[in-house]
Amino acid sequence: MKNTLKNVFHSPRFLVGFIIFMVILLTVLIYPYFVTRDPLLSLGKGFLAPGTYLSVYDANNAPTYRMELPEAAINRLESAIPTEDRQVMLDFLKVKGADVSGVSTANDSLDDLLALWKANYDEADVKASKYQGFSTQAQRNKLRRLNTSILASEQASAMSLSKGEGDAVAVSDTDYIKVNEVANAVSLPLGTDNFGRDTLTELVKATGVSLIIGLIAGTVATLLGLVVGLLAGYVGGIVDDILMFIANLFTVIPGFVLLILIYYSVGQAARGITTCALVIGFTSWVWTARSVRSQVISLRNRDHVNLSKLSGHSLFRIVLTDILPYIASYVVMAFILQVSSGILAEAQLSLLGLGPKTTDVPTLGLMMNWAKLFGAYTSSNAWWAYFPVIGVIALISFSLNLMNTGLDQVFNPALRD
Amino acid sequence: MGKIMLEVNQLTTKYVTRANEDVYAVDHVSLKIEEGKSLGIAGESGCGKSTLALSLIGYYFPPLHYMSGDIIIDGKNISGLDPDTVRKSVLGTDVAYIPQAAMNALNPTRKVYKFIEDVIHAHGLDMTNKDIYDMAHKRFEEVGLPEEALLKHSVELSGGMRQRVVIAISTILNPKVLIADEPSSALDVTSQKMVIKMMREMMDKGMVKSMIFITHELPLLYNVTDDIMVMYAGQIVEKGTAKQMVFDPVHPYSRGLMRSILVPEAGTRDVKLTAIPGTPPNLKHPPAGCRFADRCKYAVPACKVNAMPIMEFEDNREYRCGHSVQHLREVYEHEDRAE
Amino acid sequence: MSKGMRKYFKKKIFWFIITFVAAVILNFLLPRLMPGDPVNAIVGKNVSPGASPEQVQEQIAFYQHQFGLDKSIFGQFFDFVVNAFKGTFGVSYSQYPRTVADIIGSGIWWTLALQIPAILVGWLLGNLLGAVAAYRRGIWDKVLMPVSLFMSAIPAFGAAVILLVIFAVNLGWAPVNGAYDPGMIPAFNWNFISSVISHYQLPFWSIVLISIGGQAVGMRSMSIYELNADYVKYSRFLGIKDGKIVRYVFRNAMLPQVTGLAMSIGSSVGGALVAETIFSYPGLGTAMYNAIVSSDYPVISACTLIITLMVLIASFMLDIIYAFIDPRVKAAQFD
Repeated sequence: MKNTLKNVFHSPRFLVGFIIFMVILLTVLIYPYFVTRDPLLSLGKGFLAPGTYLSVYDANNAPTYRMELPEAAINRLESAIPTEDRQVMLDFLKVKGADVSGVSTANDSLDDLLALWKANYDEADVKASKYQGFSTQAQRNKLRRLNTSILASEQASAMSLSKGEGDAVAVSDTDYIKVNEVANAVSLPLGTDNFGRDTLTELVKATGVSLIIGLIAGTVATLLGLVVGLLAGYVGGIVDDILMFIANLFTVIPGFVLLILIYYSVGQAARGITTCALVIGFTSWVWTARSVRSQVISLRNRDHVNLSKLSGHSLFRIVLTDILPYIASYVVMAFILQVSSGILAEAQLSLLGLGPKTTDVPTLGLMMNWAKLFGAYTSSNAWWAYFPVIGVIALISFSLNLMNTGLDQVFNPALRD
Repeated sequence: MGKIMLEVNQLTTKYVTRANEDVYAVDHVSLKIEEGKSLGIAGESGCGKSTLALSLIGYYFPPLHYMSGDIIIDGKNISGLDPDTVRKSVLGTDVAYIPQAAMNALNPTRKVYKFIEDVIHAHGLDMTNKDIYDMAHKRFEEVGLPEEALLKHSVELSGGMRQRVVIAISTILNPKVLIADEPSSALDVTSQKMVIKMMREMMDKGMVKSMIFITHELPLLYNVTDDIMVMYAGQIVEKGTAKQMVFDPVHPYSRGLMRSILVPEAGTRDVKLTAIPGTPPNLKHPPAGCRFADRCKYAVPACKVNAMPIMEFEDNREYRCGHSVQHLREVYEHEDRAE
Repeated sequence: MSKGMRKYFKKKIFWFIITFVAAVILNFLLPRLMPGDPVNAIVGKNVSPGASPEQVQEQIAFYQHQFGLDKSIFGQFFDFVVNAFKGTFGVSYSQYPRTVADIIGSGIWWTLALQIPAILVGWLLGNLLGAVAAYRRGIWDKVLMPVSLFMSAIPAFGAAVILLVIFAVNLGWAPVNGAYDPGMIPAFNWNFISSVISHYQLPFWSIVLISIGGQAVGMRSMSIYELNADYVKYSRFLGIKDGKIVRYVFRNAMLPQVTGLAMSIGSSVGGALVAETIFSYPGLGTAMYNAIVSSDYPVISACTLIITLMVLIASFMLDIIYAFIDPRVKAAQFD
């Protein structure tokens, strides 16, 4: 036993898979101690991009420090004139007939671009819509707004903000505040989802819930498959025929279809996490049963089993002591695969809107479903709301598959290199 | 003395393990076989006899590597040839091989006659498929195999039949040397006898010019081969005729081996079955002295230090031991009397 | 035909029929266990707001009679079977008075045209990659296998979403949804066909992508197993060229993968359902999704029945073909 474990951990594939899985598991367990917020708490409205958010009000009240960064002015300019605007400027300059060779929308040619702009821009001509391609009202306004913002950011003039009760204090462009001195700052490494929930916190919680679903589904499927496989394989005869008929049915009606049918007939109200997991387990035991059965059939006429039979041992005892230990490694591998496919099944079901009906906990599938319903892929283009979820699902099944192939190599020498 | 069919001089080959360690499984082996003769190679599993069989073929692919020595078949030295020449003009014609697991040696999804076509075409012989079929059919008839065996997939044939088909295929190009590695170990006694009978007949009919037979079942060797060689840890420890080796082994290992496997049969002495305790040494780091010293009950301290060369002591008999032949024979006689 | 062969076919056909009957019953029964009364929903939609309770009752009775829901469950089953044989599958609840056959007829060709090529291409590419990885080993194997393993770990919808976001939303190379430009009328002209082709790309590749990984991993282990087989060594020692031996090996490794093809047809249904919903592809998957959402039993039953039938026929045919092309199975089954 000890030796087997040692071999297993010497397999690089198993080890890599195991480490990835443990990192995910530990994150799920430890993270809640650092971020105690309710994972489903709505912080804002709609998708917020990843980043650190500072309260403007509190920032205003935070102590200021004087710093003179040499690149401060250019940074300000670069962020004030985004790439799209630079493209518009370029287009305008081309229409105007300026020599734009060597000028692009890149940061390092911003100076040239601005110089050209200032030399060529003429408010009056724009108003008279003299330029081809900039003749509509909206296009003209766009150009004028652009010019205003360029001038404003160029001057970097001190703005006046109200501080305290009615006092107007000048804010200089050399004033800085410390992020951790702002009373309300929230760091959202993965932004927020459509409900304004912190995606990272939600994702960690969802991973935990999905792991539990996978675990329950995997346990149910493996146990069912094991019992059916043992019975069919060891007892044989009519029991085998009936059990294999049922298994055939489950194969021919694709598991997924069955899952949808059963799942729907359970009813919306009853669809919690556990029901979801149980139903998934109940529809995915078949292949485990088949493989256990074929292994048991190859075992049941071995000498040691025959000896046990001759000694008058009970069926239960023979199965427990003479058969199970020989298929144990296989059952472990089957279990790992079942957990992984259980997590996937939940995600697919939820994506179709057939997931657990719950408002207390998220699952990976529900997160995908929300992202889909609220247009995260298309209209909002909020990658942070779905991409990490896909990543986590892929990582979990990747790590489990790796562990499995590692085990396979240890237990099936034929596959070793 | 007949024409020498196979002459091997100081052949050394090695295995390279996955950990990149060298294992010299065949260490300076020399042997000779005359036309019409057969040689048996005996030893426990892991002694290097299967590796020797593979090395004698002269066709090496990883993890087996050729190191040094000559293999001369009917006057032609094949050890320096490039692999493709060996493949085309040596394999099957000069030297043929019957593998240990002959039961699974045939591609399960290829019909037997198709496979024979592949073999003939691989040697670039100018024959149409019809010629090949007729030739194979004739050969199968000669060795007592039904024509339908040609038309089937190997999985559709019984174990004994598969075995004989493999032998017939291996010898279809009339090889000068046939190397058979435990060709009968997986068969029941009846099939075993058929296989052995078949191989002897093939030699008698000249389909095979000489034969090397590798096995751990010594009684089999006594009945089948003219000479016997005993191998231990990659080296030959004793050579002699079959009769000498069975009734008068000189090397302590040969003696132990004969005594531990010999079963009472007509014509053999009724001896007790005594196993040799211990296991062969690890060839990644072979011992400096005699390789058998750790398991030898006659070993003296000098044995563990001095490596022994193989020495001729009677006509056509060789052994590798620090004790003199006379001393060993006296000790054995003493032991036998005590029993 | 040998006796063993006949017995094998008889057994296969027997199980085919039994499974088919059981599948029909399950397909009928399971959707009817769903909660929610579809008739109420339809009546709720169609009745004018000022209707009296009697009028509502009348409407309910009308629809119940239309759908045969006033009959006993056995009567309903009888209707179901009769309709299935007639090929109409009854009337849709949610799209009354459209027949189920009409709904399915408009979806099934999209699904078949999407699935079958995608599955075959994925199967072929996956097997090719697995075989190369097994034969070349080294860098191919070291890079390709973890990548394949990771690819096969990406869920079907994940692959679909990633493709959608990269190629349709951000790069704009392909349309975001549908099977053809919504402004077009299906016709046999170049504009329409090119629109179909450009809409076809993303769903197609998303299915191919996910099936490659799994097939490659399976083919690799199969090929390694075969490469280590005794016949490889024996054939080498008989002087057969490496190229020929490689052909032996891959043929032998490929044959068991044929059953994998049947399995992937079966399991792809789920994946395709997801792919179709993500790309709003007007196939069977989308039809089924809409039917589930609106408790449209007849459509659900018909969809699952067709899927079941497709899988059943595919696996039956593959079993038979497999037994003929693989002598190993022939030897094991026919004697």
